[in-house]
Amino acid sequence: MLELQRNVIFGQFIDTGSWIHRMDARIKLTITFVLTVASFLIDSFVGFALIFPLLVLIHLIARVPLSYVLRGSRLFLGFLAFILFFQVLFYPGEAPESSYLWRWGFLSVSTVGLYTAGILGLRVIFLYYVTTMLMLTTSLVDLTNGLELIFRPLQKLRVPVNELVLVFVIAIKFVPIFVGEVERLARAQTARGVPFDEGGALTRARRIGRLLVPIFISGFTRADLLTTAMNTRSYRGGRRRTKFRRLHATISDWLILLLVIAWVLLAWQLPDRLGA
Amino acid sequence: MDQIDHAAAPPIIELRNFRYTYLEGTPRASEAIRDVSFSIRRGERVGIVGPTQSGKSTVVDSFAHLLRLKAGQVFHDGEDVATPGYDRGALRRRVGIVFQQPDSQLVEDVVGADVAFGPTAAGLSAEETRRRVEESLDALGLPYPEYRLRYIHALSGGQRRRVAIAGVLAMHTPVLVLDEPMAGLDPRGRRELMELLIRLQKDRDLTLIVCSASLSDASLLCDRFIVLDAGRVVVDGPVREVLREPGRLAELDITLPEPVLCARELGKLFSDLPTAVLTEDELEAEVLKRLGLV
Repeated sequence: MLELQRNVIFGQFIDTGSWIHRMDARIKLTITFVLTVASFLIDSFVGFALIFPLLVLIHLIARVPLSYVLRGSRLFLGFLAFILFFQVLFYPGEAPESSYLWRWGFLSVSTVGLYTAGILGLRVIFLYYVTTMLMLTTSLVDLTNGLELIFRPLQKLRVPVNELVLVFVIAIKFVPIFVGEVERLARAQTARGVPFDEGGALTRARRIGRLLVPIFISGFTRADLLTTAMNTRSYRGGRRRTKFRRLHATISDWLILLLVIAWVLLAWQLPDRLGA
Repeated sequence: MDQIDHAAAPPIIELRNFRYTYLEGTPRASEAIRDVSFSIRRGERVGIVGPTQSGKSTVVDSFAHLLRLKAGQVFHDGEDVATPGYDRGALRRRVGIVFQQPDSQLVEDVVGADVAFGPTAAGLSAEETRRRVEESLDALGLPYPEYRLRYIHALSGGQRRRVAIAGVLAMHTPVLVLDEPMAGLDPRGRRELMELLIRLQKDRDLTLIVCSASLSDASLLCDRFIVLDAGRVVVDGPVREVLREPGRLAELDITLPEPVLCARELGKLFSDLPTAVLTEDELEAEVLKRLGLV
């Protein structure tokens, strides 16, 4: 059977009650931002090797099963491998003649191309891992509160922060709902004689296409229901809305942030210094 | 095959120590079925009852292999459906399921096309398909000429449910499974559907399986109840025998039929009044007998 829920982890929250789960969401968001910047700054294999232990540490503390994360990332990793393959073949940059390993017309494999694709791949995986861990360890309520507080200064400039954050969070929340919906529809259609669990990859892909219209319809219905639900509960958003759970950052939260920043600076700067 | 003594043939559906966990091996795993064993013979009319979360829908899904099944747990006509190479398509053409939410199984925009979906997927001729669509829609009180081209999304909830049932009936499956079929139907719709199911069951020698959290309708449709609770079978037996212990069923949050509820109350007046009464008429007869009026 089609079991998408096992294989898609985007937007899921797995509460293991770990220390990372309990951290202030604002600090977690800031750390994610710092690591996102880091993924662009670091441009050598040594740099990524230096930052790798930090990821291992995060993973060990968060206690989210690695097998679950890997299984849920298969689709993404496959797609990435596909893109990197072409990135190497069509490497457009100038490469010294000696670096070519193979060449045929405009297709080539060069060490420079391999290096660039390797760094690019690591960057994307790094980014993907960091954001995935943020989702897996932060509940939507915390995420909403954290984002609202971080962007609150923008409200002075009349940016509708609450509304923007709400839309963003709803968009994330809809992903797992859609995944469940696709699974439910596929099961129902299977029962009526369209086998989603048989046939080659192309046939299966074409069958998925049949689900698009019902998915869109149910998406609109759900959005409609959500609006009604929010209206009946008098949701108005805006600044005057009070919070049931208040975020509070402790000293240790700030220390962790400093540690991460220091680690990033090290991974960014050290390879250059060593090279020079 | 159909003429052979049913008791001697292997059960049409059999579960042996069936267990099922959703999202097994992930942190979000939830155990739905702990240990369920029963067998259903050809032509039986069985009610699978239990409160919400008891595992009814999971059991139903297993009948047509709509879950990731392990070997040695689910059998159809004596064959393990989880054996590699087992023809699942053929299984699904023999076991028709009407799901709890009709919307999840309607696949086309227009009524006629949706009812024709199953027969077409089974490779029937256009003529035979048309005949079946007409027959199924008519049987459910949706006249073919009038409803054939109506848009499903413009129909009412009750009408959509009927279209969903018609879509499964059109497949002429020997086993018909209905998950909460009466939900969303008005009293008249319920009565008509009940009469239709009883008639079809006789005419086509159907194996009829009805899932419900309420015994009201199921007690008139079925001869046997399998009561589930928290993923286990707690009672399995003939309807009247099961209804003899209404207290136990009420404890499980299963809605009892009206006559049974009345009989329970009247039991305070007549200590020997049986609770296993299926209709008001039966109850009336029992009470009159005790009042010495018959």
